[in-house]
Amino acid sequence: MSGERRKKGLWLDPRTKLFLILICVLASMFAPSLAYQFALVVLIAILGTFFGKWKYVIKAVCFYAVICVLTVWIMAEMTGTLRTMFIAFLGLFHKVYACGMLAGIVLSTTKVNEFLSAMNRVHAPKKLVIPLAVMLRYIPTIQEDWRYIKDAMRMRDVSPSLGGFLSHPGMTVECIYVPLMMTASKAADELSIASVTRGIENPNPRTCLVQIKCGIADWMIMTVAVAFLIFELCVRGGVIG
Amino acid sequence: MIELENVSFSYDGQEHDGLHDINLKIVDGECVLFCGRSGCGKTTITRLVNGLIPQFYQGELHGRVLVDGQEISNLPMYQIAAKVGSVFQNPRTQFFNVDTDSEIAFGIENEARPPQELAERVEQTTEDLHIQKLRSRNIFELSGGEKQKIAFASVYAMNPEIYLLDEPSSNLDMTSIQELKEHLRLIKSQGKTILIAEHRLYYLMELADRIVYLEKGQIKKIYTPEEFRKLPEVEREHMGLRAVDLTEVLPPQKCLPVSAPILELQDITLHYKKRTILHHIALSAAKGEVIGVVGHNGAGKTTFSRALCGLHKDCDGQFLWDGRPMDRKARLKQSYMVMQDVNYELFADSVEAECSFGIRNPNQKLVTETLEELGLVAYRERHPNTLSGGQKQRVAVAVSMICGKNLLVFDEPTSGLDFDSMAQVAGLIRRLSDMGKVIFIVTHDFEFVCRTCSRVLHFDEGEMPDDVPVVMDALPKLRELFSVSDGKER
Repeated sequence: MSGERRKKGLWLDPRTKLFLILICVLASMFAPSLAYQFALVVLIAILGTFFGKWKYVIKAVCFYAVICVLTVWIMAEMTGTLRTMFIAFLGLFHKVYACGMLAGIVLSTTKVNEFLSAMNRVHAPKKLVIPLAVMLRYIPTIQEDWRYIKDAMRMRDVSPSLGGFLSHPGMTVECIYVPLMMTASKAADELSIASVTRGIENPNPRTCLVQIKCGIADWMIMTVAVAFLIFELCVRGGVIG
Repeated sequence: MIELENVSFSYDGQEHDGLHDINLKIVDGECVLFCGRSGCGKTTITRLVNGLIPQFYQGELHGRVLVDGQEISNLPMYQIAAKVGSVFQNPRTQFFNVDTDSEIAFGIENEARPPQELAERVEQTTEDLHIQKLRSRNIFELSGGEKQKIAFASVYAMNPEIYLLDEPSSNLDMTSIQELKEHLRLIKSQGKTILIAEHRLYYLMELADRIVYLEKGQIKKIYTPEEFRKLPEVEREHMGLRAVDLTEVLPPQKCLPVSAPILELQDITLHYKKRTILHHIALSAAKGEVIGVVGHNGAGKTTFSRALCGLHKDCDGQFLWDGRPMDRKARLKQSYMVMQDVNYELFADSVEAECSFGIRNPNQKLVTETLEELGLVAYRERHPNTLSGGQKQRVAVAVSMICGKNLLVFDEPTSGLDFDSMAQVAGLIRRLSDMGKVIFIVTHDFEFVCRTCSRVLHFDEGEMPDDVPVVMDALPKLRELFSVSDGKER
């Protein structure tokens, strides 16, 4: 009964999400042109809006649009080594951006227990799954830590902003990573302890309060993703256009 | 039944916290409290029983630890987990899921119970522990006390025979401690065995059957609660233990004369994300005043302290220092917050470097003087992370002194401290007060407040209904603020 208490937005099986990431990597790799890259980002954005991640999606698309315009401008206007340099950098950026954006959506919408059961279903080894789960759980903790660290920096007259970073890069980096490291190692230990003392290492297949299953939405989204990839491959192979 | 037979343990590369030759039998249904100074080994005992030693913490272990006749070190962790449920000190890192329902079910999911039973158990747990209010919530938005309740609920759902709690009250306010006590009473009535390692003793006096006092890794003496209550205060403090009965903790007879105010808050209203957190706060404070800040979680204590330090942007009203208005930047210059988790504010690789970190032309003489003043000279070369909690706190205070800050805010400076460390922090605060600093302390610790504070501010529902002096005359009000009952419960 509590399994149906999902409030807002779409719910996908974590296995579907992993599959989408895989397809996204392939689609980025085989994208024939910038237009297709952009289409991929837009598709991911649509998925993001289904999940109710409005703000994230708008920011991500706008940022990418700016980068695209910049790329087109550089291709048209620049010449020489500067152009090569930019193209090499931007080429890499375009390949990674879509995957990063999708990963962001997946991470923020996947619950640790769903992830654990899904991994159980695909018979992934526990040795691999448990550290991944601890990591997944650790990410939101960093956000909390960051708030405290920002306060601490301000009190020491170190500005936790981009400007501060540019004027004192060394010091700013130190201010962020030293406390993060110190709290991270402690937090990781405590999280692991909390999970082993509640029997996470049990070899029996884990059950889950929220029943995970592949629904219609999962199949539809996977179909769209595969269709997009095939379409891209066809364009590349010269079958269409 | 839990049996420890000639158990000795020492952690790898660590001298303190070990145990020497422990012999102890705990029968089913017993509630045993372990107490003693920090580093006496009480936490180590709990780790022996829940199997974290030797499976998670490495070290040299002699002797046998048996639970129901089975040797713990031979059992895999997940089998121990079904017998022994553990609740730890830090609520922030005890939960694994983002929503409360999944978290309550986490343990029983691992036990691979059928889905139907999972749902039933979660319902039953909710009902038994009265946590309906906490169901289907995002854990990251809960207060420390609420998180601790969910951690307890998750263990309760697994229904272990033995409950093990390692300083569970360290991060809790007075109300949450009361509720924890009720939960413990419930499991005790169910005949469960309870082991608690704790600094705060008063809330356990009615529950504990035996009180084990440890010193330097050895069982020094085992008391019954009656014997323990009869210990004279001086002897108890000499043992490094906190108050046993809060009704015997009293504020000073009269307060010290106060000079003219230097800090003035005029009609301060604070907002957070378009919500008003506190409105129309007015107060003034003199040099050397030590002001306690109390209130429930979410009453605005944190926002207030951040605003005071110039870290919170969204505020109306005026802050005056010596008659001159201070904007946010000026407050940031003037003030310093010593956080509950000091690790966030230590950046450098040695104590000395920490003291001059970020200062353009550090005054070496001032650094040396300050380190001497705070008894840190011996540690000047050490990495801050290798220091104890209390020493780190002093490093943070040293930084504030070197930066010339005059307004200090301490956030829960005594959480999880034994009597000695608490008295040390009190001494430190008194010294800062003598230097003429204005000090605010956010705390739930009644014993500490009575020792250090001259006044207590109480925040509630967006207002500041009380501003009470810490003197004998105000005792009833103070007890009310800290939910200290009159001891009629006995």
